[in-house]
Amino acid sequence: MISTVEKSYFMGEFKSYRVTYDNGIVSSVPLDPDNTDYQAIQQWISEGNTVIDNPPE
Amino acid sequence: MAIDKITTAAITDGTITSSDLASGAVQNQSAFKNIIINGSMDISQRGTSFTSVTANTYTLDRWLTSGTGYTLTITQDTDVPTGQGFAKSNKLQVTSANTSPSAGESLQYQTRFEGQMLQYLKFGTSSAESLTLSFWVKSNLTGVYCTEFQNDDNDKTRGANFTISSADTWEKKTITISGDTASGFTNDNNRSMRLSFGLMSGSNTTGTNASIANWVTRSSNTTSIFPNLGVNFCSSTSNYINIVGVQLEAGTSASDFEFLPTDVNLTRCQRYYQKSYDLGTAPGTATDNGVGWTSGSGDSNGNAAFLPPFKTTMRAAPTVTGYARDGTSGQGSYFRNGASGNGTLAAHMYGQNSASIYIGTGSGWSTSVIAAHYVLVSEL
Repeated sequence: MISTVEKSYFMGEFKSYRVTYDNGIVSSVPLDPDNTDYQAIQQWISEGNTVIDNPPE
Repeated sequence: MAIDKITTAAITDGTITSSDLASGAVQNQSAFKNIIINGSMDISQRGTSFTSVTANTYTLDRWLTSGTGYTLTITQDTDVPTGQGFAKSNKLQVTSANTSPSAGESLQYQTRFEGQMLQYLKFGTSSAESLTLSFWVKSNLTGVYCTEFQNDDNDKTRGANFTISSADTWEKKTITISGDTASGFTNDNNRSMRLSFGLMSGSNTTGTNASIANWVTRSSNTTSIFPNLGVNFCSSTSNYINIVGVQLEAGTSASDFEFLPTDVNLTRCQRYYQKSYDLGTAPGTATDNGVGWTSGSGDSNGNAAFLPPFKTTMRAAPTVTGYARDGTSGQGSYFRNGASGNGTLAAHMYGQNSASIYIGTGSGWSTSVIAAHYVLVSEL
């Protein structure tokens, strides 16, 4: 189960989601609609959950 | 008329001729005839024993649980049918009984297929191929079980039953269903079909049997998803089921199980899951064996990256789960100017053949080496 989702930036650009699961595992999920973890994040967002976004300054 | 098997008698009496062989009329003899990957249950990169398994959990490669209302222990087992050539089987053991599943609860043990792998079945045309499923099974719980063939692209289902007749005894089962002439599979790399063993069902998904005869429209409340299901596998913690030799092939008869070389079987599994660890090492283990690393300088944002080439082309850009040398998830290790530690690990520039994995090393430092293990997942 997804615990938190945070946008991950590289060189100032949003490149992936950093997902923390209830079991403590942390994964980096590509912004690819064919990826089933990406699909799960979109579902999680549609259920009213919020993605953490701390863009680099 | 198609000929299903090559037998000595058929060759001797002329039933099978050279022209038959040349025309392709002799079915099921081609390499990779088994649509299922890892039907031999030999490959289990995630580990060999999985406890407290609930919904949507991958265990042995290409196999996962689906549904809700159960807790299992799933293992790669050495109990196999005698004399059949199998070395491992897949065992499901109930660890928390559910004697009366609620309407929406069910247990399916499942494998999934890409649409582009199914085009030769010609579903959605008048030439749709029949499918034959064969497998070995053993359980303490006798009775009528289900299999489900699910077309994800068109939300359709087809059910079939098998009966375990003798407790604690290996039995081979064969099921043939007709192809669907009305609905095909999308020709891409996404999920188009699932095959499930139905082991438990609440009233939402069992009770009628329309799917036995035809492909029917499927929803979460289709009562013929598990037609004629006669057992509740989850009724007791004494219940177990072993499965091996699962083969799904085009045609109306089951041919001998197709054993693939281990390296070929592994490579096919790695299209969906691969790892930097040795095969027998669980992700998160503190080890340097196989760790990905590079030497060089960090960038202006305090990150250093390496790009591991994947072992085989993956189905789609994978999810990357990294581990530091000490096994910490979401981190990688660095060594710089005499210091060392762990930094945040992430990825970018994802592709099917590589991704850039980067580790935060701290700004203003000249990094000498970064290292991390990684697991790549592109399941269906």
